[in-house]
Amino acid sequence: MQLKQLANISAALAAASCAVLGQQAQAGTLLDDWQFNSAILLYNETDRVSAGEGVFTARGDFGDDKYLNLGLVVDALTGASATGAVAQPYVQSFTRPSGRGSYDVAPGDTPLDDTFHDTRVQLDASWEQPLAPNWRVSGGGHVSKEYDYLSLGLNGSLARDFNQKNTTVSLGLAFSHDTISPEGGIASAFAPMLLRSDFADDASYQAAFAATRDRADDTKDTLDLLLGLTQVINRDWLMQFNYSLSVADGYMTDPFKLVSVVNSNGEVQQNLYESRPDKRTKHSLYWQNKLHLSGTFLDASYRYMWDDWELNSHTADVKWRLPLGERWYVEPQLRYYQQSAAEFYLPFILQTEPLPQFASADYRIGKMTAYTLGAKFGTRLAAGNELSFRIALYQQKPENDGVAAPGILADMQLYEKVTAVMAQVSYSF
Amino acid sequence: MSAISLQRGSNCVVGQFRAMASPCEILLEQQDQALCSKLTQLAAQEAQRIEQKYSRYRSDSVLSQLNCHTGQWQHLDPETAALLQFANTCYILSAGLFDISSGILRRAWQFDGSDNIASQQQLDALLPFIGWHRVRLDANQLFLPAGMELDLGGIAKEYAVDKVLQLLSSQFAPDAAPSIVVNFGGDMACNRPRADGSLWRIGIEHPSLADQAITAVGLSQGALATSGDSRRFLLKDGIRYSHILNPKTGWPVSKAPRSVTVAAPNCLLAGLLATTALLQGEDAEAFLQAQQLQYWLVD
Repeated sequence: MQLKQLANISAALAAASCAVLGQQAQAGTLLDDWQFNSAILLYNETDRVSAGEGVFTARGDFGDDKYLNLGLVVDALTGASATGAVAQPYVQSFTRPSGRGSYDVAPGDTPLDDTFHDTRVQLDASWEQPLAPNWRVSGGGHVSKEYDYLSLGLNGSLARDFNQKNTTVSLGLAFSHDTISPEGGIASAFAPMLLRSDFADDASYQAAFAATRDRADDTKDTLDLLLGLTQVINRDWLMQFNYSLSVADGYMTDPFKLVSVVNSNGEVQQNLYESRPDKRTKHSLYWQNKLHLSGTFLDASYRYMWDDWELNSHTADVKWRLPLGERWYVEPQLRYYQQSAAEFYLPFILQTEPLPQFASADYRIGKMTAYTLGAKFGTRLAAGNELSFRIALYQQKPENDGVAAPGILADMQLYEKVTAVMAQVSYSF
Repeated sequence: MSAISLQRGSNCVVGQFRAMASPCEILLEQQDQALCSKLTQLAAQEAQRIEQKYSRYRSDSVLSQLNCHTGQWQHLDPETAALLQFANTCYILSAGLFDISSGILRRAWQFDGSDNIASQQQLDALLPFIGWHRVRLDANQLFLPAGMELDLGGIAKEYAVDKVLQLLSSQFAPDAAPSIVVNFGGDMACNRPRADGSLWRIGIEHPSLADQAITAVGLSQGALATSGDSRRFLLKDGIRYSHILNPKTGWPVSKAPRSVTVAAPNCLLAGLLATTALLQGEDAEAFLQAQQLQYWLVD
């Protein structure tokens, strides 16, 4: 009896329904559908890095709530990035990280390595489907390749709906294995940056340079865990909480960054390649609210992140989508970010002090605040396609974490602001 | 004649009217208001014709007349005979769960959100008058035993959607019809893909978040029908009694999903499968999987 009830009766019923309607049996309902999204992003820091990024994603609906997601990201970066070395009131010479060639930095300028350029291609794929009533599962992977960097990853998630799908609890796990192989190899911790001009000939320079390098490449493994809770508060309010844990093990030093060693008058004696710990455990708490407020949509979120590098950060982000006439909307965005410095962050090392175990002068792990001010304009086109334009101003403001600058450094700009403009065009079809 | 209104959508024209206790709409892909107006008029007339013929609320309907003249053989017009034959097939294929003679259970159950659940005594008094197997049907006549009553509420609206779409398509030369969607309160059908290749995006309502579409599905051809209504239930001693009644016991089906939506070539079939799925209670999803059609289920 049970078997009979669950038999496929749709074919027999289809024939009966066509008889009532006096129709020929029709082809099945066509519902399979692909949704595509494409975007181009241009990012330009004043006098520093410029980046262009193209994103193409596709989501295929295979029926029964089964979806295949595919993504392709191509980005190209070019321009100059801060090396971590301090500015000086005279011309400074730097050797490129590869060991081949050098460049000069003008008096008073923050040292920037202007040969920074890279192209990255990333491919993502994931499959999601129901596992049992109220359970959903997904699995996927990524490959990302740059000239000197390869990242391979796998991820999976499991979600369970409760309370008539008003509550969803999810668990996500991701693992990635990254390999970095910088041109010229990896410098040993605190290896000095050598200058060709200090050597009599190429051979002796090359021999000395090779001695500062101890391996061609290194790896990093990262395990991420995410616990999420999504709750429908009422028909106009959705709330989400996430806790995530990220444990990384491996090479996390930036092979292109330097730390200046200065004397008591603030004069650079030597530039050393930085060194960071090879373990990092990050935690983050995320709280998001999506609200429907009389025809407008408000998305407000807050994230608190802390890690065992003693780098803590707060991020508050508010986006508000407002209708603009019948077809357009405008979505202003304000994002505020604040972080404390990692425990081994030092804007420079004093010659008189013993060399610490780890040190980095990378402003990105120093104390700073940043904000993004932007707006997106979007419109619904015929056939449900959507076109949007986004423009945003992003400013990073590094701050002094109570370090007294000796001698000539007192007159140097050690915490230079970085201002960037982002422009993005997206088209969904 | 019911009042119709026209509205211009972003990529279609919509004609609206009310029939069969539902908001009804005709979506036309072409931005042609005059054509849409004409099609909506035709649709409203056809919907009204079917409503008048099969409504149990109208004493002059064909259905009410059949229910009035029990205990004797009654002649059936071809359309009614075909619908009852279909109901017969549904009864057989659903192993007796889909039964158009079960409507009298309404006398014992009012799903008004209260705690007035029916007593076994009330149900025992009604059950002898329920059971399609007691009804005799041949090619053009029906014998309905005394005390029994038929109710086509489970199929009339879906049937109307298909008939209206057929009528509207027939206004054009073969293969020249534009893409049209007929949507009667969420039960809908579409004749052909849109000329620009895009899909009609249809939201399926989430019963606990009224008006918030849980999923937007793309429809290019064929039909969608939804069964289930979270607003119709009884609650007593913490137990929720759904309005889906098992015609064999007279009791609400337990552990049924709140709502089921099925995609099928026509609306009649989609609706029937959605309703039959709900009648399977906790086996609804297994039943739907066995049908090999796309479905959406809300627990």
